[in-house]
Amino acid sequence: MKKLMEQNFYELLGIEFDVSPFEISLAYKENYQLYHEDSLVSYSLFSREEREAILARLDEAYATLIDEKKRSRYDQSLSECGILKEGMKSQDGRKTVGLIRDSKVSTNNTILTIRDELKAMVSSNAVIQEILTQNALRGKDLKRIRGELRVSLEIISEMTKVRMIFLRAIEDDEYKKAPSRVFLKSYVKAYAQSIGLDGEFVASRYLNRMND
Amino acid sequence: MAQIWPIGGGKGGTGKSFLTGNIGILLARQRFKTLLIDADLGAANLHTIIGLSDPDRSLSDFINKRFSRLEETVLQTPIPNLFLISGARNKLDIANLAYEQKTKMLRAISRLDYHYILLDLSSGTSFNTIDFFTLSDSGIFVCCPEPTSIENFYRLIRSVYIRKIQQILKGHQFRKLAQAAEARNPNTVINNPEYLLDVLKEIDLENGHRIEGILQAFQFKLVLNQVRKQDNSKIGILICKIIEKHLGLKIQFMGNVGFDERVHDELCKKGPFVEEYPYSQATMDLKALTKRIVAVIHGQGEVPAFTLPDVNTLTG
Repeated sequence: MKKLMEQNFYELLGIEFDVSPFEISLAYKENYQLYHEDSLVSYSLFSREEREAILARLDEAYATLIDEKKRSRYDQSLSECGILKEGMKSQDGRKTVGLIRDSKVSTNNTILTIRDELKAMVSSNAVIQEILTQNALRGKDLKRIRGELRVSLEIISEMTKVRMIFLRAIEDDEYKKAPSRVFLKSYVKAYAQSIGLDGEFVASRYLNRMND
Repeated sequence: MAQIWPIGGGKGGTGKSFLTGNIGILLARQRFKTLLIDADLGAANLHTIIGLSDPDRSLSDFINKRFSRLEETVLQTPIPNLFLISGARNKLDIANLAYEQKTKMLRAISRLDYHYILLDLSSGTSFNTIDFFTLSDSGIFVCCPEPTSIENFYRLIRSVYIRKIQQILKGHQFRKLAQAAEARNPNTVINNPEYLLDVLKEIDLENGHRIEGILQAFQFKLVLNQVRKQDNSKIGILICKIIEKHLGLKIQFMGNVGFDERVHDELCKKGPFVEEYPYSQATMDLKALTKRIVAVIHGQGEVPAFTLPDVNTLTG
């Protein structure tokens, strides 16, 4: 317990210093699965206080590392106390696509398993199921679904290759930022599919609303 | 020398005897001379699982010195190459063996001439169960993907390691350690072996390193049984991960065995499951599991738990 609290954020999440934001999100999600309140894996292993402390620490680690500015400040502090040394980070800052530790697992497979997991979460989550019964879906509905699944927009961007600015525009209902309606539709579809939703279904309900 | 695998798990009903019996059958069918020992002394029923009713001799005959040699208690089973020392017909107080009786028994067991000896242990965290784990420094834990089972498993594994520390240290040394641990962390129950080891290293570095070495030599394994389709198939791996992270213990995950309604039917018929349902998912899982454990124990590298096994090589 004590040991965990003394670990730096990278150790805590079990990642290298030069991982991409995508890997950070994945690692966070993996760890969250272990420690959340209803996790079968860690059942009875911790007291409530211990569990809350671990989760708070995980949240702090994620919030720090996923934010580019905060991360570089944090890295700076690690360098100052000699934990992060020259050469541990690649020259140009960080790897662009270093998806998962095991090099044998290809990128596509990783994304596929994530999608399968997300699909399972979608079908078992009551809040999401209720949102999906609406005739029209707004950006904020998608954002809520994403919140329930605890997937960051960065992950979606890496999975779909859709730029962050468009993903944000979708969630904020700022349609004008998309180059055209056709593009918007394909972006919404990609967004939805990447988090385990039915792309066509979501995109049509999202676009329907625009006509109102 | 025989490979001895104690098989236990914190909770009753997880399928320890079922796994012991059926893995034993699979090993025997591969022409390994295999002995099953029912060490679930208070509630023995391994004989029923392999289809042998009313055994006429048992382990207690050795403990009570009716037979001077352990070999004399061995029973033939209907399956070639498979032998049994039954735990049935015990006196009611036999569930509480003295430590010396257990070491004597284990010494006698280790001298037996078999390829594999599987020890079916009782549930719970009584010293009877724990000592068979600490005495043989290998062993297989059986657990179900359910909170109750996982809770008891965590309890058992912590007990095993702490009992081992207690056995190596002398009485007053262990008391000193327990006091030091409590003083550093008042108001909490000391049940984390890694923490105990850290404190020990602070107050007695030499013993600390010695015990750490002994504990690291433990090669415990985990099997998840009765895994349903809706269960997360990776849960076993995650359990091993979290144990390493928080208790500082290395446990290797060996695989899942699927839940199968027909296990119940077969138990009611008092027949061996893998023989009766050779092509069921549970049997396939058991075959893959047996193969993996054998490979790991014989050091053929670490067989990844999720590659598709070549089942045919095991049918024998």
